[in-house]
This record gives sequence, C-alpha cells and structure tokens, in this order.
Amino acid sequence: MKGLSLNIDKLSFSYGSQKILEDLTVQFQAGSFVSIIGPNGSGKTTLLKNISAALVPQKGKVLLQGQDVLRIKPKKLARQMAVVPQDTAVNFAFTVFETVLMGRMPYLKRFESESDRDVAVARWAMEVTHTWHLKDRSITEISGGERQRVIVARALAQEPQVILLDEPVAHLDPQHQMELLELLQTLKESKNLTVVTVLHDLNLAAQFSDYVVLLHKGKVFAAGRPEEVLTVKNIEQVYRVEVVIIPNELTGRFNIIPVAKSTPPQGKLRNCRIHLVCGGGSGAFIMDRLVRSGYQVSCGVLNIGDNDWRKARELGIEIAYEAPFSPISEKAYQKNERLLDRADVVVLLSLPFGAGNLSNLEQVYSALKQGKKVLVVGDRNLAGRDFTGGKATDLYDAIVKDGAVLLAEVKDIFNVLETMY
Amino acid sequence: MEYRERKTRWKLIFFGSLSGTILVMLLCLTIGAVDISVGETFGIVVSKILKLGSYFNFPQYPASHEVIIWQVRLPRIILASAVGAALAAVGGVFQGLFKNPMADPYVLGISAGASLGAASAIAFQLQSVIGFFAVPAAAFAGALASTFTVYCLGKVRTGVSVYTLLLAGVALSAFFSAITSFIIVLHSRETHQIVFWMMGGFSGTTWLHVKTAVPVICGGILLLYCFARELNAMLFGDNTARHLGIDLNRVKKAILILAAMTTAAAVAVSGTIGFVGLIIPHMVRLMVGPDHRILLPAAAVFGAAFMVLTDTVARTILAPAEIPVGVLTAFFGGPFFIYLLRKKKSEFI
Repeated sequence: MKGLSLNIDKLSFSYGSQKILEDLTVQFQAGSFVSIIGPNGSGKTTLLKNISAALVPQKGKVLLQGQDVLRIKPKKLARQMAVVPQDTAVNFAFTVFETVLMGRMPYLKRFESESDRDVAVARWAMEVTHTWHLKDRSITEISGGERQRVIVARALAQEPQVILLDEPVAHLDPQHQMELLELLQTLKESKNLTVVTVLHDLNLAAQFSDYVVLLHKGKVFAAGRPEEVLTVKNIEQVYRVEVVIIPNELTGRFNIIPVAKSTPPQGKLRNCRIHLVCGGGSGAFIMDRLVRSGYQVSCGVLNIGDNDWRKARELGIEIAYEAPFSPISEKAYQKNERLLDRADVVVLLSLPFGAGNLSNLEQVYSALKQGKKVLVVGDRNLAGRDFTGGKATDLYDAIVKDGAVLLAEVKDIFNVLETMY
Repeated sequence: MEYRERKTRWKLIFFGSLSGTILVMLLCLTIGAVDISVGETFGIVVSKILKLGSYFNFPQYPASHEVIIWQVRLPRIILASAVGAALAAVGGVFQGLFKNPMADPYVLGISAGASLGAASAIAFQLQSVIGFFAVPAAAFAGALASTFTVYCLGKVRTGVSVYTLLLAGVALSAFFSAITSFIIVLHSRETHQIVFWMMGGFSGTTWLHVKTAVPVICGGILLLYCFARELNAMLFGDNTARHLGIDLNRVKKAILILAAMTTAAAVAVSGTIGFVGLIIPHMVRLMVGPDHRILLPAAAVFGAAFMVLTDTVARTILAPAEIPVGVLTAFFGGPFFIYLLRKKKSEFI
C-alpha cells in the first residue's frame, strides 16, 4: 500500500469574523508521523477539520496526493482518510462490534451486506486496539478510554492511507497511550500509513513524530523535525512556560520538562545572599525561584555539564565549578569557600555524596561552626545517599545536630526566608 | 459467527411480526358494530379477491354484509395499518436524524401545517368548489408547505443544521396553530368538524383514500429504509457520518423530503394522530436495539398493528358512536410506554 501525502496550501479559515487559521502552508509526506502541537485555541482542531473536509476554508486548499479534498467524492475520501474526533460520546446503544463494523461503510454498496472480509478487517482492527473483548458490550456502557480505542478501531477498519486523530490519547492511561501511539507507528512503517495527530503532550510528540507542526495564533510558528521545532526558545515563546530539554536515553529522543511559568524576575533585589550546595538537578527549581524572588544566589561546587550547573549558567549566577566527573580540586574548593563566606544563608539540598564531592559537606559543616545559618532539605539521615562508607553520614548527622534547620521540602525554604527577611 | 446469526434474528423478528400484524388485521375485520361471523367475513374477502364466485359455489352473502366488509371495514383497516406504519417509521427516522428522543413525525411542523390546510378547507367550504378530496388535498399541501418552510429556515452556510430545524419546526408549529385557532374562532359553525379532523381518525375511509395514500406511504417507507445504514452512522454525529463517506447534505435532504411526503400522505387521510410516531419507535428500539436496518421495518409493522387495533377499539367500544382514534392512541400508548420506561431502568435510548 502506498501512502498518501498531504499539502496544505495557503489555508485561511474563520468562524464569522474570528480568524482561526491564517495563510497556513505546510506539507506532510506520505508515510510519516506528523504531530500538530500548539496551545489551546491555536487552531489545531480547526486545521484537522479542514484537512478532513469537515470544514470548508475561505481561502486556500488541502491537497491529498495532489487532489483537492473537497472535490473527492465522500465515499472515496473515506476509503483513503479516516478521522478520530476529539469527542466520541454516543447516546445510542450500538454494540462495540457494530460500531467498528461501520468503518466498512465506505466499501459497501447500498444494499450490500458486510462480507466475511469486512468482518475480518473489523476484527483485526479491534484486536490491534485491544478492544476485541468488548465486542458485545454497548458503546454507551464502556469507559471513555475504551470508547476512544473503539473509535480508533473503527477508523482503522476503514483501511485508510491517512489517519487524522484529534487528541487520541487524552482519555487514555499511560499504558494505552503508549500502546496506541506505538500501534500507529507500527502501521506507519508496515502499511506506510500517514499519521496526522493533534497532541498536547510535547514529550509524546517528541518521542513519536517524524515531523512536528507548532501552531501559534492560527499560523505555523515552526515546522520540521522534533528537535528543530521543540526547542526551549520556541516553547517559551508559544506556551509561555520555561522548560528544560534533556536527552532521553531510553527512547533516543528527548524529554521536555516544564520548569516554571515564564515571567520576568520581579525587579526588587533583596539584600540577602544565599549559597546552594546542590547537584544532579536537585537545585534547579529552587535556584530559579530564588532568583525570581530577588535573592542573590550562588552555588557550588558543581561539575560542568550537571543539570544544576546548566541551570545556574542560564540564570547567570555565580558558580564554583569543577571539570566533568572530576573530584573537587583545590581551586574550586577555594572559590566555594569565598562564596560560602559571603552568603547569609547556606542551603544544603538533597543530593548524594561520594568521594568526589564530600568536601562540600565539610565546608557546610565548618560554615555552620562559624555561625552561618544553614538550612538542610531532606531526611533526618543520609540513608541511600551516602557513597563514602559512612564519612558523609557522620558529617550530615553533625550538621543536623549542631543547629542546622531541617526542612522536609524545598518550598519550605521560602517560609524560613520570609520570617528572616 | 454471531454477526450472521443477528441477520437471521432480524429476519425472524420482521417476518414474525409481519405475520402477526396480518393476523391482527384479519381478526379486526371480523369485529364491528354489525355482527358478521368469522366464516362469512373470510368468505366475502376470499370471493372478492379471487373473483371465484363464478367458478365455485360460494354461499350467497347478504349484500349489506358484503358492503360492510368490503367497502367499509377493509379499506379502513388497510389505511389504518399504512398510516400507523408511516408514523412509526418516520418517527424512528426523525429520532435518529435529530438524535433526539423527543422527535416524532410532526417535529417539522407537519401536523400544524396539515391542520391549517384542513381547517381552511373546511372553514371556506372548499368541498363545494373542488369536491370530496378538498380536505385531504389541503392538508397535504399544508403539511408540505410547512416542512419546506422549516427546511429553508434550517439551512445554514455549511448545510442543514438539525438543531435549527427543530427550533424552526417548533416556532412555525406555534404560528400555524395560532392561525388555525383563529380560523376556528371565526367559523364557529365548523368548529366541531375541524376539531374532529384534528383529533384524527379513519371514519369514512373509502378505497379512493387507500389508492391515493397507500402507494405514497409504502414507497416512502421503502425509500427511507434505503437510508438505514446512513442513519446508523448519523447517530454518531454529523462529522462521523461524513468521515464514513456519507454525502451528508444530500442524504439529509433526501430523508427530509421522503419523511415529509410519507407523513403528509398519512396525515392528509387520517388527521393528526399523535403518539404513535413517538412511542412505537421507542418501544421497538427497546426490543431490537438502535440499528435502523431492523428498527425501521419493525417499527413500521408494529405501528401498523397498533393503529389497526386502536382503530378497531375506537369504532366498536361506543358503537354506533366513534371515538377519534388519536384519543385512544394516547390513552393506551401513554401508560404502556411509562410501564416500559419503568421496567427498563437503565438509560433510555
């Protein structure tokens, strides 16, 4: 089966005077997995409805393998393109099997009954979507997630070359989210199916897509391979959230982690210096929040390439750092000492300790001895985080015993700081 | 596999209920104000149909009995069954098309339009101008005119919106009813006749009524049945239907025209008989499920049986006086429907 390509050419659509899509041009290759992403109201669903010929654009056209979708006979179009809509609620008590069998309608003449092959295709569609066991249940009685999969099964029963899906995983649990998207990926590869899906979950889009279209206010903000489109800058501009992008070794793609709502730091600088002892990402969140709240933040000692190191660099705060995977050198130690000296408050975050960074704990302990205010975030003991054979635990216990304030959560830091300043 | 078994089950349901209905019709033929025995009744029918009188030696039946069976009861029963079938089938179609359990054949203003037509014809004495068929013809014209108006009002940029249609139907019905009431007030001498027509009934049915209305009704039901599969898909919403390859605007238009013709033909010869078009489809849906491929034929057959039975009660229970059959359909249908609703506790449609 050869797949079909889609060309969206200068498409403009508006509901009344409200412009939804404006002069939108984008191409999807046959047999590719395309994700349409964008914030609420950016026109994703409207674009999908224009592609499926459910809406008629004011300007421009949608070409399916070079042919205007509005000029293709509905029955023929239904044999080439199937659609899984967002809202799948049904009020009439058809059985699940009857519902899926309706997917064969485009292949039947008016008085023709479903053949054995039609029944077999419907059964196949139900088996790959794991809905065969529901076949005799009423479509009104099954759960929203099950219904979603049944509707996908009906779309697959149409044996389409293009499948359009609007938020297909919205009602699904993580297991079925993965199964459904993996199924689509498999069909893309085995049958050269062109998959076009609206997704809200950027991580799923990053994991499965060959091509991503980022919509913003009815226009294509960016389109291309996932790593070209899903950049920190693009996401921040369109979604107004700050994110961190880290490679995902398990999928070979990357993960996008929202960090905070992207608002400019509140101008007022506080006259309070805080030094963070962190690592491995334990300090990224609090670093950001403290800077935003106007505190003067420093941190150390961090290894170059560490998540906290990246975040600190992004925020432009002062760091005592060391080369990657190296134990703390004398130079970094001295730098950290200076930063500790200047700080009003020292915060020790929940990070593991090994031979390489044990000196951090020693420095915190001596700072405490010199009368610095020390906040410790985490458990009362270092269980599971000590890789020094007990040395770190001894130091940690001493710090907690000798007057450090123990906090259960990172956020508690603010409560303490508020009472102090 | 089970799917094939279902088709067999459907055939059983349909032909079983069809035979039952024919039996009911024959039975009702023997019941009436004048006491004619079962044997005599069937003798008259068989001799009339087969015209065998000249070959076989049928006993001579009294001429009055022949007239009662052949000219009075039989056309009336046939017309009642056709009207019942039409209302029930169109009710089923409209409940699917509008995805609304409250829909009945009259939602598009057909009853109000027909009533207005009939009332005008009666009030302005059109019989004396165009003859005996003036009232049915005016009712038919009124029914089609109101449906057409509602359809034009319901058209939106992208096609036909069923919700706009429903609302336009309600509004136009109210408007036409107001005019009808006004006519009744102005022509108090004809009030009884107009109100009696509006309550609906089959008294005075002739073969001419049967010959004009029944072909339209039968053709309408058969053609509507052709859209059973499309109606199934349309229950899942307009967009789903479109994505399954249905040329939605053309199908909707065809269904509306066919349903309007069928209902108008029924209403023209029987007045506005309520409730049959609402409850019979629901009853049948409870029994056979929502698939229009069995729902429509079964509803038509059950509607026919129900109408013949109620009409028989209407013409015999207070004989020689008659009760308008519309009164009885609601009187019997309402409580029975409520019983079904209570019995089936789960959500309805």
